[in-house]
Amino acid sequence: MSGHVKNMCPQLTISQAARTLLSLLLVAAIDSVSAAVVCRKQPCGSSLQRSLKLTKLIHKESVDLLKTYKVSQGDMSELFCQMSINNVPDPNISGLDPSERMLSIYSHCKAFLPHLKRVTEQQTDLQPPSSSLLSKLSTAHNRTNGLANQINCIYQTLFPNLPIPPEPVDGPTSVPPSQNVFQQKVYGCVVLKRFKEFLSRVTRELRTLKSQVCTRRTTFADTNALF
Amino acid sequence: MLSLFFLILYIPAVMSSSSQMAGILPQDPALPIGSTLTATCSVSPDLGLHASSLFWSLNGRRLPSSSYSVLSPTALSVTLPGLPASRQRSGDNLVCHNHGGHVLAGSCLYIGMPPVKPVNLTCWSRNTKDLTCRWAPGGQGETFIKTKYTLKYKLRWYGRERECEELNAAQPYSCYIPRDLALFTPYEIWVEATNQLGSATSDVITLDILDVVTTDPPSGVSVSRVGDLEDHLSIRWESPPALKDFLFQAKYQIRYRLEDISDWKVMDDVGNQTSCRLAGLRPGTVYFVQVRCNPVGIYGSRRAGIWSEWSHPTAASTPHSERVLSGSCDSKSGDSNSTLRRELKQFFGWVRNHAYGCGGMSIKLYDQWRVWMQKSHKTRNQVLQGDKS
Repeated sequence: MSGHVKNMCPQLTISQAARTLLSLLLVAAIDSVSAAVVCRKQPCGSSLQRSLKLTKLIHKESVDLLKTYKVSQGDMSELFCQMSINNVPDPNISGLDPSERMLSIYSHCKAFLPHLKRVTEQQTDLQPPSSSLLSKLSTAHNRTNGLANQINCIYQTLFPNLPIPPEPVDGPTSVPPSQNVFQQKVYGCVVLKRFKEFLSRVTRELRTLKSQVCTRRTTFADTNALF
Repeated sequence: MLSLFFLILYIPAVMSSSSQMAGILPQDPALPIGSTLTATCSVSPDLGLHASSLFWSLNGRRLPSSSYSVLSPTALSVTLPGLPASRQRSGDNLVCHNHGGHVLAGSCLYIGMPPVKPVNLTCWSRNTKDLTCRWAPGGQGETFIKTKYTLKYKLRWYGRERECEELNAAQPYSCYIPRDLALFTPYEIWVEATNQLGSATSDVITLDILDVVTTDPPSGVSVSRVGDLEDHLSIRWESPPALKDFLFQAKYQIRYRLEDISDWKVMDDVGNQTSCRLAGLRPGTVYFVQVRCNPVGIYGSRRAGIWSEWSHPTAASTPHSERVLSGSCDSKSGDSNSTLRRELKQFFGWVRNHAYGCGGMSIKLYDQWRVWMQKSHKTRNQVLQGDKS
């Protein structure tokens, strides 16, 4: 390879070619890393504390989001939100031990994202451009994505030997196909109502996890230090 | 009884496959204000409901059964005369319920008006690089249903019609064309408004970009005192940097006001200088000053351009009068009578110079000053008359 380079471009030295190759490899490496979640090892308590704070923020905003949503759909929207629709994630966190429950939080966060996105798209057509609903929906989507990444990191740190299942295929197959406007109004309300309830459960869950998992680890580390 | 119980459990799940269980026609119609609408709710026979047991609601209010009509055992219609404008942009909710109040199906009504011809279309270019246009919706300004406004433009004598794409969510009746604009050739520009009930087009305006040029406000505006002159301020600024490459003449306008008065005084005849001196101002007072620029005769166009925005206000204060001693015979600051204040200042100045301080302050001293003032007036007038001869 280097000999060939020499023949073709006599002025291009080997070091220059190597440098170019190295930069290309470096760019490729950075690109691949940024595609995955980059986790920095943090103390257990402070990571979970941060996620708890973020969850509380998203939950508080979700209360206002649901209120804003209902107002912009017109009267009668209270009834809409009580209807049951298939394929919208349920707000319950499942699992028996901390790792399962943390994984459940993570996958639920990911599951809500395409639905939030779909509601945003639908409401973009239904609301005037100045409506605050659209920006609130967008914020909820971004923050939930951030929370999912944080939980992912904490999970990898706490349970390094447990694999995270590949991202749930929550693509277009699980958001409803095209709906008439009334169905869209109902769908949006059900999504946001369940989203709000989910976040309330996550808040409680993270508090429990923090006391369960971080205390246990501290005890384990102390025990180790004795030997 | 048991079947009724199952029905109540079953009905909330109806919406998951509402297209099969119940439906309303027409679905999401758009109608002019004042129209009459007849809608029909059809339920699947599998639900086991009779049409006479259903009821309708519009925007949360139950509709009177006098407006209903049973078309068949599984179809109930409602007639809505004289529909008012939609309450919200997402549509009015017309809902079909079972006797228990549960929602079976819904349809969203869009009641509004076709768009009226948009008016007051004006455009301006910033430094000949781009074009921003603004218009008003015409009529009462509200159609009550989603209306799309598209700004279109084309070169007058050739070229294809193009659409402005950069709409501003914050300013719904404006659009921005960022680049690729031709100079020295007229454009035809208009706005088309469209909604589900119709469309309307504004009048076409014709303009050459060079005729509607505005620029940035002058930069580096500074206001400073002129030595000790208590009623002068000097203003300096720089011509807007963006136009330094163009052949143009800028003309400027200055406006200034006292700190606590909201009325501005405008100086029109500043010409194309980049400095100006204000005179006849009040001593010891804070003034706010702003400058703006008009690009005249860009690339040889004879027309004036469009005035820029005013520069950010710059403040400066005129010096206090030198004749007033501080701490000895100063009158109280904040004295609202300015004539009295001026007289007092002059009196104190005379006292300092002629009576060697304020030790022997008395009304006699004041009278002496008055006499002195009259005498010196006479002398001054004589001198002037002498000069004239």
